[in-house]
Amino acid sequence: MGQHGFEIAYVFEYFYRLLPALKVTLLIVGSSIGIGTIVGLLVALPQLYRIPVLRRLSQLYVSFFRGTPILIQLFLFYYGVPEVLKLFYVDLTRTPALFFVILTYSLHSGAYIAEVIRGAVSAVDRGQVEAAYAVGMNGFQAFSRIVLPQALSISIPVYGNVVIGNLKDTSLAFTLGILDITGKAQSMGTLSQRFIEVYISLAALYFIISFALQKLFERLERRLLRHEPAAAGLTKEPLVKRSFLRREAASSKWRRKEAQL
Amino acid sequence: MIQLSQIKKSYGRQQVLHGIDLTVGKGDVVAILGPSGSGKTTLLRCINYLERPSEGDITIDGFTVHCKRLTKSDIHQLRLKSAMVFQQYNLFRHKTALENVMEGLVVVHKLPKEQARLRAVEMLEKVGLGDKLDAYPSQLSGGQQQRVGIARALALSPKVILLDEPTSSLDPELVGEVLSVIRKIAKEGITMIIVTHEMSFAQDVASHVVFMDNGTIVEQGKPREIFQSPKEERTKQFLKRFAPESAYSI
Ligand SMILES: Nc1ncnc2c1ncn2[C@@H]1O[C@H](COP(=O)(O)OP(=O)(O)OP(=O)(O)O)[C@@H](O)[C@H]1O
Ligand SMILES: [Mg+2]
Repeated sequence: MGQHGFEIAYVFEYFYRLLPALKVTLLIVGSSIGIGTIVGLLVALPQLYRIPVLRRLSQLYVSFFRGTPILIQLFLFYYGVPEVLKLFYVDLTRTPALFFVILTYSLHSGAYIAEVIRGAVSAVDRGQVEAAYAVGMNGFQAFSRIVLPQALSISIPVYGNVVIGNLKDTSLAFTLGILDITGKAQSMGTLSQRFIEVYISLAALYFIISFALQKLFERLERRLLRHEPAAAGLTKEPLVKRSFLRREAASSKWRRKEAQL
Repeated sequence: MIQLSQIKKSYGRQQVLHGIDLTVGKGDVVAILGPSGSGKTTLLRCINYLERPSEGDITIDGFTVHCKRLTKSDIHQLRLKSAMVFQQYNLFRHKTALENVMEGLVVVHKLPKEQARLRAVEMLEKVGLGDKLDAYPSQLSGGQQQRVGIARALALSPKVILLDEPTSSLDPELVGEVLSVIRKIAKEGITMIIVTHEMSFAQDVASHVVFMDNGTIVEQGKPREIFQSPKEERTKQFLKRFAPESAYSI
């Protein structure tokens, strides 16, 4: 606890003083989501196309990054990668910590994004691909014109969750001395001993960005899913419920099939 | 015009088609009947290579594919000669009715957009959906979706349209509108192969009826021959289930 009494005015002051550090936070989020999306696609493909050995490797990759805490991953990469590369005579001792942070967050979100892509692509029903083949499209045309656009719009809400999760996870980067908004808040708190005010403004800042991202993704989803008004109307429902609805629809299809027999 | 010879298909160790021979003339409407699991869908899907036959030759409009040795371009050529109407419609859900019909014309046949649009409108009008051009599949009833499916197939001017139980996922009151569209295009002389359980429809629209059981063609002929004087015991038994008097027993 600081020795000062709580003063609301400081909350506003710290909020403004945190803003410059937002660059660093957004840089980590932006670049790791960007790289993570490419990684995710590369990791998802062997599973989608059932490529024998690569498929196992990509499953291993996903379970490692989903199954271990990001803080440990951060330390493993920060301390471990330079050690390993030393064996190959590559010197990383002067590489900025930010590099390792972005590397870790990219690989971490890549694992989640791979799952998002895999789920979204398999949610587009196989029948449409067959219809595409039947009108004479080749595999690439069917994927890029029929599957991909629908997979994208299906994946938007979950993708949004990954981005927001990533934003919140970056608050651990301060452990490697990164001056993102959390790192900045730490040092401001230590200097002023007004921890409560600092953390209130920090929380507010995270909340505002998360909220803005959430609205952005909801909007994007509504735009992309205008062809499925029923699904787009459910944006606010939790994901579990939506996939449940989808399953319901599928099972009612089955029931109807059974009834015919 | 269409000739299938010795088409065989196995899934693993289970053989589903045991060497099917079938000849379809230009303008014929062939109805394929048979109990569930007899291989009707599989046969139809082999004709446009959605299913890869293990053996046999397929000829459509002078173009022959030997299933034992073929290239990707053979498959593509073969698919251009046919179009398919699916039991579950399989419309592209992110595209409007109009875009569904235009898609193949633009992407595969490389028609200029404006020309493709005109043709698509014409086809949708033919199936009675001139007022639903901009509707997405989610905004259409099952019967309307299936009619878009038919328009999509027609637009490609295929040599043959393959229809797999086009009405069996529809609510009973919507079956009629789809059947009457099919009846209408049959009258225009378009070659069709239809798998169906609608006996009376098969009887009055088909020019040729094929009865399948256990992966073989048991009997085929004119509708009158098959429905009124079937020769094979299995055909008789199958048709008896659909005969009017059995309707009361449900
Ligand atoms: N992908 C598949 N893998 C394994 N077996 C299959 C597959 N598709 C079909 N079969 C089997 O092949 C046989 C023929 O199936 P098919 O769908 O062609 O029958 P059908 O005559 O169309 O039946 P229905 O009237 O129920 O549609 C069935 O025994 C089925 O179990
Ligand atoms: Mg079938």
